[in-house]
Amino acid sequence: MSNVLLECQAIVKVFPGVRALDGVGLRLTAGSVHALLGENGAGKSTLIKVLTGVHTPNSGRLTWCGDEVHLRSPLEATRTGIGVVHQERNLIPGFSVAENITLQSPPSHRGLIDRAAMTAPALTCLGELGLDIDPDQPVRELSVAQQQLVEIAKALYTESRVLLLDEPTASLSPQEAERLFEVVRRLTARGTCVVFVSHKLEEVFAICDTVTVLRDGRSVLESSPLADHTQDDVVSLMVGRAHSATEMRPREVDTSAAPVLSLDRVSTAAGHRDISLDVRPGEIVGLYGLVGAGRSELVKAVLGLDRVTGGEIRLHGKPARIASPRQALHVFGIGYLTENRKEEGVFLEQPIVRNITVTVWKRLAKAFGFVSSREEQEVSHDLVERLGIRISGLGQNAGELSGGNQQKVSLAKWLAADTRLLIVDEPTVGVDVRTKHAFHELIWELARDGLPILLISSDLAEMITLADRVVVMADHRIRGEVDNDRDYERMSGRIIRIIHDRALSAVGPKAVRA
Amino acid sequence: MPVAPPDGDTNTAEATASRPVHRLPFWVNQRLGLLVLIVSLSALFGVLRPAFLDERLVLFPLLRDISTLTVVALAQMVVLSVGHMNLAVGRMAAFGALFAGFGYDRLGLPLPLGLLLCLFAGAAIGALTGWIITRTGVSSFVVTLAMDFALLGLVSLLYSALTENAAFTTKPSGLAELRSYSLADICVGPVCGSPAVPQLAQFTVLALLGLGFLYACTRIGRELLLTGANPAAAELSGIPTGRRVILAHTLSGLLAALAGFMAAVSTGTFRASIGDDFMLPSFLGAVLGGTLLTGGVVSVLGVLLGTSLVGVIRKGLDLLGVGLESLNIYLGCVLLLALSADRVRTVLSYRKVVRST
Repeated sequence: MSNVLLECQAIVKVFPGVRALDGVGLRLTAGSVHALLGENGAGKSTLIKVLTGVHTPNSGRLTWCGDEVHLRSPLEATRTGIGVVHQERNLIPGFSVAENITLQSPPSHRGLIDRAAMTAPALTCLGELGLDIDPDQPVRELSVAQQQLVEIAKALYTESRVLLLDEPTASLSPQEAERLFEVVRRLTARGTCVVFVSHKLEEVFAICDTVTVLRDGRSVLESSPLADHTQDDVVSLMVGRAHSATEMRPREVDTSAAPVLSLDRVSTAAGHRDISLDVRPGEIVGLYGLVGAGRSELVKAVLGLDRVTGGEIRLHGKPARIASPRQALHVFGIGYLTENRKEEGVFLEQPIVRNITVTVWKRLAKAFGFVSSREEQEVSHDLVERLGIRISGLGQNAGELSGGNQQKVSLAKWLAADTRLLIVDEPTVGVDVRTKHAFHELIWELARDGLPILLISSDLAEMITLADRVVVMADHRIRGEVDNDRDYERMSGRIIRIIHDRALSAVGPKAVRA
Repeated sequence: MPVAPPDGDTNTAEATASRPVHRLPFWVNQRLGLLVLIVSLSALFGVLRPAFLDERLVLFPLLRDISTLTVVALAQMVVLSVGHMNLAVGRMAAFGALFAGFGYDRLGLPLPLGLLLCLFAGAAIGALTGWIITRTGVSSFVVTLAMDFALLGLVSLLYSALTENAAFTTKPSGLAELRSYSLADICVGPVCGSPAVPQLAQFTVLALLGLGFLYACTRIGRELLLTGANPAAAELSGIPTGRRVILAHTLSGLLAALAGFMAAVSTGTFRASIGDDFMLPSFLGAVLGGTLLTGGVVSVLGVLLGTSLVGVIRKGLDLLGVGLESLNIYLGCVLLLALSADRVRTVLSYRKVVRST
């Protein structure tokens, strides 16, 4: 190996109660695309933070082009030549593209920022990425994908020779992702090393050439050529044992049963028109569509957060006027597992026990609203066991858990409340392979026990694994419905055709919604 | 504090490998630190100025002040719990006291009925504030700031319209006793209470117990905290966040009015200037005690301790002959020290836990 840019050896980083990194090694060479893989909680994020100067390792060595370096702050990392594009956008929405790109060292004239001199370097960076974006446009007007590319341009401006991309394709459409890969190829052609963190193995194998796999804070595979491995190899390294994609056991759905939830030509203030949909006991109905199709908004309307302007929502056969999520839960027994775990799902700074029992306090409360903490503990403890949530104690804050475990906590509160209808929205986004599989099993079992489930997902494989029927939505309308025959090729073809037919006729500025 | 089950993660094979339960050592507890500070400072002042420990002349008024300011800080804590603020605590206190004074002076109400009227007025103005906040979605900072100005004008206007000297001076029977009686005036047989503890403190004790029960044991208390921790998640989890916000502001108004009544009883007159100096101590007491400004975490006991610490420092420095201006400088320094000592403790214990991992 030649041209080693950044190398780390035996990196150890300890947090209270956990050795997040326990002897990790990594070698990044110029002009390569390096995959950094591992399940949630394996230490990827911590490693990225060590490489970008956010965390100082407790021990271990970092070398840059052969010389030992100590990165004490993100600024030092940037000056060294390490750039990062985080999963969350870190741009300033009200600033222009040029201002954002040059943010870290804006061109200045006698101590005042020189706006006119920003445009040229910004255009250079955008040009190197092959982007045609107006540098004077405010960033908030750009699409998510464009914003991400601006972040990469920002890294180019600081002359990053190592660029870390953390889950870059999580919120991108396949076309946008392809565009991103082109950019990555351009970068490597100029000798940059790109570190690619992703849960999507297909992408990793399409674009990367070397790979490091982390498991429980250790590098179980270190800077190895990707060509030497198969996807199954890599997955078993990540999981720690051979991974078997088990088929879901057959499950009977009584299609003649009366629907629990039924929407009859519902229109909403959010722009939905004529939505009709039935969910029967024990049935998993998939609601598929691209980001922006209006699926989550439809659910918000069902929960009473948005106004229903026409049609009728029926629950258990009776017309229901749901005014608030509280009524949805306590009167109609509807649980909603949100797609925005951190913003709407869990209370990060609150103990796990409160996160789980929030929905049952009403039931547990005795005279004067007294809630016994022993009963709370019992309810939570049962669910923690049943869902296999990894915690160090019920008093631990939910924010200290890994993403997958947070998601389980978020689900646990609905199971605690014995909901009679469960709506799950993108349940496995950003969740590792094993947790994803466990989640699928769980949803399947809940349905087998008779719970009606409305599943919203942008993950076709997930839809086809779980759903009995797939309802396809685009542009706030229902475009078609497909009975699932569990044949991936045929199903995905049919679903994509339904969306595509409409997408062709709906091309225009309005069709693009972030 | 909830107690962890022996081992919550026994059902996955790898889970048992690492992750020991981490608990911070007991001395990291902020409340304990405050208590130690209060006791050692009291002892220090007592040694330097033995008069500091005089029960009737020093401790009695000190505890009366602390009682009132604790209620003020509780009024602030309740809104902080839902992630809001109440910049109008002082004026709400004045508003409540106005109604009590009016009741005694014009309606000839007996002592308890006047207090009830005062509490009702405070709760009503608090509820109105909360309602405006939930209906308009304007931040509590802005709404309570506006409310502060509105009440400042209204209260002064009413006093000048209703009274001659801008104060109600009629004292119902029992008020003088409430002002100056201590536990020494309550005797069970030959055993009497301490002359240092004012009877006025009964209201503070009631408020502390009530709120302690609310936050530690009840559904509503937990829902208030979760509303403060993450309003969006709370709403989706079935908590009526709007109503909880209104409730928090109502309680805040009620407690502020109680503090106003107590302040009026302490000074002996019902006037517009009551509560003028309530706002900053209200935040100080709550925050020193460990209540988060961002919502979701409160400490009822911490409010008492935080307020007591400030009271002890003030009184002690005062007795040492420190002038008012320099007293505030010292106070600022001590508070900074108290808060950073807390931070130092947290950092130290964090390192300790990391090292043992």
